[in-house]
Amino acid sequence: MRPWLLRRLAQTAATLLLALVLLFLLVRLAPGDPVATMLGEDRAAAPEEVARLRAQLGLDRPLPAQFAGYVAGLARGDLGTSIRYQRPVRELLASRLGPTLLLGGTVLLVNFTVGTWLGVVQATRRGRAADRWLSAAAVTSYAMPSFWLGLALAWLVGLRWRLLPVGGFTDPLGEGGAADVARHLVLPALTLSLASIGAVMRQQRSAAIEALGAPFIVTARAKGLGERAVTWRHAWRSALGPMLTLLGLWLPLVVTGAVFVEAVFAWPGIGQLAAQAAAARDYPLVLGASLLAAAAVLVGSLVADVGQALLDPRVRA
Amino acid sequence: MAPLTRAALAASLLLAAPLVAQEGPGRTLRLVFGAEPTAPVPTLTRGLTQNNDVASLLFLPLAAPGPSLSTVGEAGFEPRLARSWHRRDSLTIAFDLDPRARWHDGRPVTAADVLFTFERARNPKLAPSLALLLGRIASVTAEGDRRVVVRFTERYPEQFYDATFHLGILPAHLLAGVPPDSLAASPFLRAPVGSGAYRWVRLVPGQFTELEAVPGFFLGRPGVDRIVIRYATDPSARLNLLLGGEIDALDFLVPPLDNLQLVGEHPELRVVHAPSLSYGYVLFNHRDPADTSRPHPLLADRDVRRALVLAIDREAITRAIFGTYAVVPIGPASQLVPVQPARALAARGDLAEAQRLLAAAGWVDADGDGIRERDGRPLALTLSYPTSSAPRRLASQALAEQWRRAGVAITLEPLEFAAYGPKFIGRRFDLAFQGATQDPTPSALAQSWSCAGRSGTNYGGYCNPRVDSLLARARTARDPRPLWNEAVGTIDGDAPALFLYAQANVLAVARRFDEIVLRPTSWWSDVWRWRVRAAAR
Repeated sequence: MRPWLLRRLAQTAATLLLALVLLFLLVRLAPGDPVATMLGEDRAAAPEEVARLRAQLGLDRPLPAQFAGYVAGLARGDLGTSIRYQRPVRELLASRLGPTLLLGGTVLLVNFTVGTWLGVVQATRRGRAADRWLSAAAVTSYAMPSFWLGLALAWLVGLRWRLLPVGGFTDPLGEGGAADVARHLVLPALTLSLASIGAVMRQQRSAAIEALGAPFIVTARAKGLGERAVTWRHAWRSALGPMLTLLGLWLPLVVTGAVFVEAVFAWPGIGQLAAQAAAARDYPLVLGASLLAAAAVLVGSLVADVGQALLDPRVRA
Repeated sequence: MAPLTRAALAASLLLAAPLVAQEGPGRTLRLVFGAEPTAPVPTLTRGLTQNNDVASLLFLPLAAPGPSLSTVGEAGFEPRLARSWHRRDSLTIAFDLDPRARWHDGRPVTAADVLFTFERARNPKLAPSLALLLGRIASVTAEGDRRVVVRFTERYPEQFYDATFHLGILPAHLLAGVPPDSLAASPFLRAPVGSGAYRWVRLVPGQFTELEAVPGFFLGRPGVDRIVIRYATDPSARLNLLLGGEIDALDFLVPPLDNLQLVGEHPELRVVHAPSLSYGYVLFNHRDPADTSRPHPLLADRDVRRALVLAIDREAITRAIFGTYAVVPIGPASQLVPVQPARALAARGDLAEAQRLLAAAGWVDADGDGIRERDGRPLALTLSYPTSSAPRRLASQALAEQWRRAGVAITLEPLEFAAYGPKFIGRRFDLAFQGATQDPTPSALAQSWSCAGRSGTNYGGYCNPRVDSLLARARTARDPRPLWNEAVGTIDGDAPALFLYAQANVLAVARRFDEIVLRPTSWWSDVWRWRVRAAAR
């Protein structure tokens, strides 16, 4: 296991390095200029002012020199300073990490508990009305664009029924606290969950159907175990492998959040911060957020692989 | 009761409880901006709306234009940090500071603060745009702690405007020790200390900024005790916050016009509007975008440009987008710029005249495909516009359709602003759909519509020596208005751009606020004058 793990870690580090180079190049090669947005949309800036700002930001230096400077900073743990906010990127990302983890974590938790449960329920009722209804619901919710779903829920629950706030993380006039955050969390989390839980349900249903048809299930039943024990103790455990892979792929969601849903609900997450940074060509902030996302993807894959390897020794070969 | 039902009930109670306990907004004004302020400090705002808006609440200038927004002479101005002023001669104005004016840390505002601010603002390395605007100020000196004397390089009617309009005063005692280059990264930016009606409380990144009224503010007790500014980049999120009762006011509600109907369904809200300094226009590039040393093969021709303007029913497009909340401007003039020239080109367009002008210039549809050609070259242009602007996005489609009726092929090029900006500054466009917020004086027109401006912000390359002469004479004329009228009328006739709309700012405001004062130069700066109805406190 140990040599396999070391090899896997080295792969992860190499991939992250490659991602850094590619991200740096892609961000710089995209058409546009951060100075344009720095100077606002309502006035035409003079060419000298644009040139002066570009020099101040080091954007007039050759690309390799800019890259070397960025990597040197990264080695010191410095992700640079945001062009738009004039604040350290690390500080900006940290300030958005809490809301991001909360939203992403809630959605993952809901999807991988409720979604898994519903998937197994479908598998045990395969072909029956409940299975068909749940399949239809899963496909329908998965097909709905999250921003549309968000707007619809905001209108119905927030504006028409006035049950929950339609935006923000807390009420600036309230006392704050967990209950306030929870009220603000419901709609964005519900939107994201509804838009994505279908995938978990479908995956779990397939895996569970396969597991329920395996010979060891026949053996379990022959031993006289009840159907509940057969399903949850034996079949479900066996069907967990594909779900771990899926979980690993979805872990980045916790960090990068969901751009559209964050925008619709004015949720102060990293996804929205990154989207704004990309629109403003705030290179250091885009790179910082992208690196974080890349690291999350790689760590997610690593966690999934390790989980798989623990469940199935053949994976380590 | 099933465990699941019990859990759901408990969760509902937990979520609903704060609705009951929550404090009402009372004397707090809750706003929403599209972006977080990054540097709400004079000399550092870089012209960004969100920075200017917050800075206008925290910092005061020496004086501010009155309701007429007149920039000529000093009669139309209202006192702020300066209690009074007097002219010593045609080149010198002395300002006497209000002895009651205090910084938010309790220190008095002194002449040293004013000198420090002007020194920073006139440094082209620190604030190039401001330095340009203050270029005709020869010196700023102090006479004691309370008097500031501003001397100008020449006699002109807008001296007072130049000395007061462009900047709020900074606290020298807090900033003199900060190297100018480090100011943007200094702790002062995280908690600015000003002299305005509101002081900084906190900024919660990505969520909101909170300001509170200064007790005993020297110009009068603020009617609004607290201002909370939330952030939401998405326009529908901003509207939802308003309709959901989570904010009290939202500006630039139109377009889309549908928003008015939605707001109308909420009796607790009302719609107010005020003319603004903003306008939108499609700039015609006079130079060839492929080689700016050459004239544009189509748009350098005045008749072609006039035909392009006359091919458009500007009034219909403007009305479709803004309803009655915008007018078709004459030349480069928002609703509040004090010019009243005769209109040179019909706002409703004149398709027959447009077609005649194009045919006379040799542009005819020889092959019957609906697009005119000359010497085998089609009359085809690209219209570039930033997708971040709703009115420009909406108008571009209508413009393309109307131009096509006149035989002009238009390719629409929607761009993110970060990509649109460099294209515009690099002069790599045929038609660029610009939006502008003007200063309230036509003097600033020289920057973008004069021959000399071609090396600066005159990115279309328009040049008419007659306009230059009129604007130059207006600079020093005792009454510049007739000259401004003539200059703007001449620009309109030359059609260097299609001047499409000059819009008002349409706002929705909670009815619990009274005596709403809106200042077009910074919309929220007079919130301290608003009042909250007694029943709502």
